[in-house]
Amino acid sequence: MLSIASIPEEENMAQFLEQIINGLVLGGIYALIAVGYTMVYGIIQLINFAHGEIFMFGAYIALMLITVFGIPFWIALPLSMVLCAILGVLMDLVAYRPLRNAPRLSALITAIGMSLALQNLARMIWSARPRQFPAEILPTVFHGQNAISLPGGAALPYRDVFIILLALILMIALNRLIHLTKIGKAMRACAQNQVAANLMGIKTNRVIAITFAIGSALGAIAGIMVGLSESVTPTMGYYKGVAAFAAAVLGGIGNVTGAMLGGLIIGVAEVFGAGYISSGYRLAIAYILMIAVIVIRPSGLLGKSTGDRA
Amino acid sequence: MKNWLIILLIVGLISASGCQDQQKELKVAVAAPFTGNAAAFGEMIRRGAELKEKEINEAGGINGMKLTLIFEDDAGKDAEASLVAERIASNLQILAVVGHFNSSCSLAGKPIYQRAGIVELSPGSTNVTVCEGSDWTFRNLYRDDFQGKFIARYIDEVLTDLQSVAVFFDNDDYGRGLRNAFVAEAEKVGLNLVADEAYERDSTNFKAQLTSIKAKNPDAIFISGLYQEAGLIVKQGREAGITAQFFGADGVDSPDFLAIAGSAAEGTYLTTPFTFGAAGEDALQMAAQFKALHNGVAPDTWAALTYDAVGMIADALEKTYNPEASVADNRKAIRDHLASLDTPEEGYKGVTGLTYFDRNGDTVNKPAYVKSVQDGQFVAAKQQLLELD
Repeated sequence: MLSIASIPEEENMAQFLEQIINGLVLGGIYALIAVGYTMVYGIIQLINFAHGEIFMFGAYIALMLITVFGIPFWIALPLSMVLCAILGVLMDLVAYRPLRNAPRLSALITAIGMSLALQNLARMIWSARPRQFPAEILPTVFHGQNAISLPGGAALPYRDVFIILLALILMIALNRLIHLTKIGKAMRACAQNQVAANLMGIKTNRVIAITFAIGSALGAIAGIMVGLSESVTPTMGYYKGVAAFAAAVLGGIGNVTGAMLGGLIIGVAEVFGAGYISSGYRLAIAYILMIAVIVIRPSGLLGKSTGDRA
Repeated sequence: MKNWLIILLIVGLISASGCQDQQKELKVAVAAPFTGNAAAFGEMIRRGAELKEKEINEAGGINGMKLTLIFEDDAGKDAEASLVAERIASNLQILAVVGHFNSSCSLAGKPIYQRAGIVELSPGSTNVTVCEGSDWTFRNLYRDDFQGKFIARYIDEVLTDLQSVAVFFDNDDYGRGLRNAFVAEAEKVGLNLVADEAYERDSTNFKAQLTSIKAKNPDAIFISGLYQEAGLIVKQGREAGITAQFFGADGVDSPDFLAIAGSAAEGTYLTTPFTFGAAGEDALQMAAQFKALHNGVAPDTWAALTYDAVGMIADALEKTYNPEASVADNRKAIRDHLASLDTPEEGYKGVTGLTYFDRNGDTVNKPAYVKSVQDGQFVAAKQQLLELD
C-alpha cells in the first residue's frame, strides 16, 4: 500500500472533512429511506421490500415531470412526493391490506413480488439505460461545482449542505409528527396494539395508509436526491434499499429514531470503510458493523424487544 | 365472432411463416449484454451484426443458404453467460457463436463451448486469459496486457506533462487485468503511482474513493472499467474538485459515457481497438450503410468489430459448410478454418483491419487508437502511438 505519511497534515484534515460530509450525505439519504421501512414494520410487522422501488419511482417521476412535462424542479419535487405517497397507499391497498390477517410470511413474499414487479415495470417504461437529471435545468444550487471553500482546501458543495439539512429537518418534523399530533398518537397506538386501537375508535386501516404515504414521500425525496449526483436506474432502489434496510435493523427495526441513527452510522461507515480501509468492499464493511451490533444487541441500537415500536 | 377471426389470423400467420422455412438456414448465435449495465454495448453489437446479416443475405446468402442470427442476452453477468452458453451449445442448429462481450462472460462460456465443440469468437473481451487453454475461443481485438501497457506508454511518451497517476479500477476480470498491466508498465517507465483504488460493479457513488484520490493530487487518473461507472466517476470527480486528466480504456468507449458524464467528459482520453476517425474507405462505407439501416445512428467500435466477427464466421461457413456432414463436424470445420488464419496473408480483411490469430486464438498485431472527448464528441487524438517497441 502507499504511505500517507508524505502528505501534509492540512490535506489530511481536508480529506477527513470531505469524507465526513460524504458520509453524512449518504447517511441522510439512508435515514430517509430507512424510516419508511421501520414505520411500516412498527405498525404491521411487515418488511416492505418494495419500499426501495418507491424510492426509485420517486426519482423517475421527478425526472419525467422535469424533462417531459417541463415542470420546474421546485414544483416537481413535492409533486413527485405526493405521487409516490399515492403509489405507496395503492400498494398497501392492493397488495397488503387483503393479507392483513394472513400469516406474516404471505405478506413478506407478496412484498418481494411487489418489489420485482415494480422494478420490471420501471424497466419496461424507462428501459435499463441509466438516466441523468440534466444539469442545465436544475437550480444552480444543485450544480456540484458550486461549493463553499472550507479551511484546508476542502470543498463543501451547496447540494450536500441542502441534502444534509433537508434530511435533518424532515427527520425532526417526522419525530414531532409522531409525538405531538393526533395522527402520531394514533400511529403509536396502532404500533402498540392494533386490535385495542381499533376498539378505541381508531380507524387502523386509515392510520396504516397514512404511514405508507409518509414513508413513501420520504423515500421519493431520497430518490430525487440520489438521482441528482448519481444515475436513475430501475435497480437503484435495490442497492440503496438493502443498505437502508440494514440501517433500519441496526437502529432497531420499528424504531423511527433508531432508523435515523442507523442510516447515519451505515452511511458514515460505508464512506470511511471505502476511504480509509479498502475501497473494493465499501458495503461489506458497513454490513460487518451491522452484524456486530446485532450480535451484541439483537434488537438493534434503540429497539425494544417488546412493546412500543413507533 | 371476433375471437374466431383472431385465431384464423394466427393460424394463417403460422402456416405462412412455415412455408418460407423451406429455404435452408445457417444459424449463428450472437451472445452479448442486451440488458443490464453494458446494454449500450449490446445494442451496438446487435446493430452491427444485423447489418452484416442483411448484407450477406441480400447478396444471395452463404452458398445460397440464408444466414440467421440468434441473439442471446447474457446481461453482462458471468452466471447468466453460463446459462446462455449451455442453451446455445445444446441447440444443434447453431453452428458458431459471436460473443461474448464482457471478459467475465467469455470466460464463463469458455469451458462450456469447449466441451460442446463450438467456436466462441469474441468481438469485445480483452482480458488476457480469455483465449488461453481452449482451442475453441478466438477474438478479433487486442488483449489487456497490450492495452494497459499502451496506455502507460502513451501517458509517458505523448502526455509528458503528466508525471503522477492514480488508478481507479472495477474489481472484476476486465478491470483488474487491465489495471495490473497498466501498473506494471507505469512502474517500468517511471510514472509515479500515487493512488490505487477499487470499486464494485454497479456502484453509483464514488465520492469516498474520489476524495481519497484527490488528497494524493495525481496529474492523471486511469479508470479501468466500463462506461456506466466511468461516466459517474468523471462527473462526481469533477464535482469534487478534481482537475486531473482522466484516461479510460475501451470499456469507456460508448456514446453513453458522454451522456452520463455530460460536460465533465470533456478532454477525457481513452484507448480503443478501432476508430472510424482513422479508418479506411470500406469502414466509411460500412458506417454509411449502418446509418441507413439504423435511422441515422452512427456505428461505434463494437458495432464494427461485431460486423467483422459475423463476417469471419460467414466466410468460414462459406468455405467449409457441408450440408451432408453432422453438426459436430460442421462446428469443427469452422474452428479449423479460423485456426488456419495464422499469417497476415491468410488473415481476414474486415473494416477494422486485418485479423489473424496466434496459437491461442488471440489476434496478433491489431493496433490501439487513442480518442479524446472534444465538444461532447469522441474524436481521434491528434497524436497516435502506433508502434510499441
